[in-house]
Amino acid sequence: MPGTDTPLLAHLLRRAGFGATFQELDQYSQVGYEAVVEDLLHPEQRPPIEEDVLERYYIDWKESRNIEGALTESVYRMNSYAGKRPLQEKIALFWHQVFATGLAKVLHEKTMLNQIDLFRQHGLGNFRDLLVHLAKDPAMIFWLDNNFNHKDALNENWGRELLELFSMGVGMDGRENYSEEDVKSAARAFTGWTIDDDNVASIPFGKTPWLFRYEPDQHDEGEKTFMGHTGNFNGEDIIDIIVKQPATARFLSRHLYNFFVADEPQIPAWQHTPPNDLEAIKVLENEYFRSGYDIKSMLRVLFNSDFFKSDQSRFAKVKSPAEVVVGTLHLLGDFKFPKRGIFDVALGCRYMGQDLLNPPSVEGWHTGEEWIDSGSLVERVNFVADQISDIRQPGVRSMVDALLNRTDELDPLSIIDGCLELLGHIKLHDKNKNHLVGEVRSMLDQRGSMAAGSLEDQHHAEKAILHTMKMIGSTREYQFA
Amino acid sequence: MTTEIKHPLSLRGLYQYHDVIGLLSAAGPGFSGPVSVVTGPDGNLWVANRANPNQPEAVRITRCTKDGDFIDHFGEWGEEPGQFIWVTSIAFSSQGELFLADENNHRITVFGPDNRFVRSFGGHGNSPGKFNRPSGLAFSSSGDLYVVDTLNHRVQVLTSHGEFKSQWGSFGDEEGQLNMPWGIALDLAGDIYVTDWRNDRVQKFNAFGEFSMAFGSSGDGEGQFNRPNGVAIDPEGDIYVCDWMNDRVQIFDRSGGFKDMLVGHSGMSKWGRTFLDANPDIERKLALASQNIAIKERFYRPISVHVDSEGKVFVADCYRHRIQIYQKLNST
Repeated sequence: MPGTDTPLLAHLLRRAGFGATFQELDQYSQVGYEAVVEDLLHPEQRPPIEEDVLERYYIDWKESRNIEGALTESVYRMNSYAGKRPLQEKIALFWHQVFATGLAKVLHEKTMLNQIDLFRQHGLGNFRDLLVHLAKDPAMIFWLDNNFNHKDALNENWGRELLELFSMGVGMDGRENYSEEDVKSAARAFTGWTIDDDNVASIPFGKTPWLFRYEPDQHDEGEKTFMGHTGNFNGEDIIDIIVKQPATARFLSRHLYNFFVADEPQIPAWQHTPPNDLEAIKVLENEYFRSGYDIKSMLRVLFNSDFFKSDQSRFAKVKSPAEVVVGTLHLLGDFKFPKRGIFDVALGCRYMGQDLLNPPSVEGWHTGEEWIDSGSLVERVNFVADQISDIRQPGVRSMVDALLNRTDELDPLSIIDGCLELLGHIKLHDKNKNHLVGEVRSMLDQRGSMAAGSLEDQHHAEKAILHTMKMIGSTREYQFA
Repeated sequence: MTTEIKHPLSLRGLYQYHDVIGLLSAAGPGFSGPVSVVTGPDGNLWVANRANPNQPEAVRITRCTKDGDFIDHFGEWGEEPGQFIWVTSIAFSSQGELFLADENNHRITVFGPDNRFVRSFGGHGNSPGKFNRPSGLAFSSSGDLYVVDTLNHRVQVLTSHGEFKSQWGSFGDEEGQLNMPWGIALDLAGDIYVTDWRNDRVQKFNAFGEFSMAFGSSGDGEGQFNRPNGVAIDPEGDIYVCDWMNDRVQIFDRSGGFKDMLVGHSGMSKWGRTFLDANPDIERKLALASQNIAIKERFYRPISVHVDSEGKVFVADCYRHRIQIYQKLNST
């Protein structure tokens, strides 16, 4: 479509997905920005991945008996959906970060993966419904001990985190959002919300999925007072009250902004630290209430906003390890059909500091600059450099061929600009670009340019392109989204 | 006073649940993702374990009696000669050699009667004698080896030393075409049945690979399939098909007419009983898991079926790490 801003589309796909290949960007450019946003918001209109083929070869996945298999499956699915349903996977990753639940305690891989599926299915839906699903999710119930929450023996863990970490947050604008009495009332309302088949060993015949079970005789039927309302509340009544709170609108808006737009301060600081862009947060809060708590509507507003599209928000967020790994895999076009080896690649997330399905605590991972330390940075750079310069990968091959076919002559600047575009319209800082020019020039045998028709020159050019992509992969801009 | 145990019957009452052998285990008595079950020349059951990619020590062939007594196991994970990674099926030649299809290494590995490595053949490719993820194996009465070459969408006929003889099939859904075929079995007349996995049907070919008939379509009704894989023919010509993603085994007459259905009725196995006797806490928790009792009895991705000369039907219940056994009640 004439006038389509492809670099803007690349920005959108980096945030709403895991980046896009140059072929995908070509296709997206045909329909225009707003249509692409709508496409992303409706993953159900895209075909699912071929589950039968996955099961056919990864025969253990259906049962998923260990954490290695679960990690492998998570990364494989993210990679498989990165091109087909990118926002579905990205929102699942988002909720995994917000509603952080981990195998360190849950110890039932399939149940954890079922929670991620819940996020796929409901992550773009209504926030009230999502919280109800979450409250009934067996992994969450076990993670926060609600299976030990009885009318005569209260366990406040779930009730407290529901308010503190999953909906309202401790406070906003310098004041507290709820009281200790509210925590207790919330916990009482969720008594009897428990699970079936918890903690049963895989022996003798393998694991079976944990299921939600409501035990009426364990539920506290007494009167409760929550956030100024009084009644014989059950769990859903509590959620109905929660979603009406301005604090919930603020909390969800900040989370969405932090994940999709720009890094915010870490969550524990939110009570006393105002949002970086209060105006943007207000826009999202208004849409939250206007739409009746609809996450998809909030994201539509977000992706179409000036604050999202602005130059300032591009390459301004540190990629999470999952974004680095899956985004790179997607560019490579690797693992589009089941084969061995995905586990070794998936481990990259863990080595970079994001052990998927196993966050460090119920707070999730600290994001932004906290993703980077000297060790994780080396892992990031090495991972990308190793993968992106492997000419055997179909995606790398197609990028190299596309560049070789573009022009009869390749000089350092055309190679660099070409690689930056093919890798997702990456915009380098002048200083980084100048450094690359010097490196590539020295590779080109000091001739300054080569004729693409000569086989020898073509081989040399190919090496120069691969080396350039490898260097781009280690730049700050590639490691940022 | 003794209690008579009445085992449940199949859908149409032609089969009765008989027993179960199994226990999730990476070694010794037990299975880990059983994908193929056959009767060996010794009259015992031989079971190939696909296992978990992160638990390579569990990839093995397990041997046990049909009464569920463990005998031994062998096999080693890897790419070296005699090792295997992604086992899909096993079959015995009339010489008593065990043939194993490995779809990771794209080869057939042969073990002698002492379980020692004898030879292997194949390799990755699409030329005659090469494979792209081989799966089902079967022998003709004359000793020819039939290999389902899944991603080449064909069946290859080889000598037992891997020399190419013929092939048929190509990608598609027309008669005689295949889409990721998986299982294969021969009847007494030498006709060949292939589960055409992604076309949700079974195709029958004559000994020359010429199309004879097909039955099945996509769905979960009687006679329909959701990715059929394991297939077996009993001496009376009845056709047993593992209806993999419908979690059942369907039985058809020789013309493809639906006859009966097995869904799984597993009780506790001998090996499982031993384990639970030593771990009563786990048995208590199992008993409390009220919503899951029924599903634990049922098949969970039945993947291989084998019928012996006594009419016993052995079903590899892959995700439940067991072999469920049914008895055919009446010959028709």
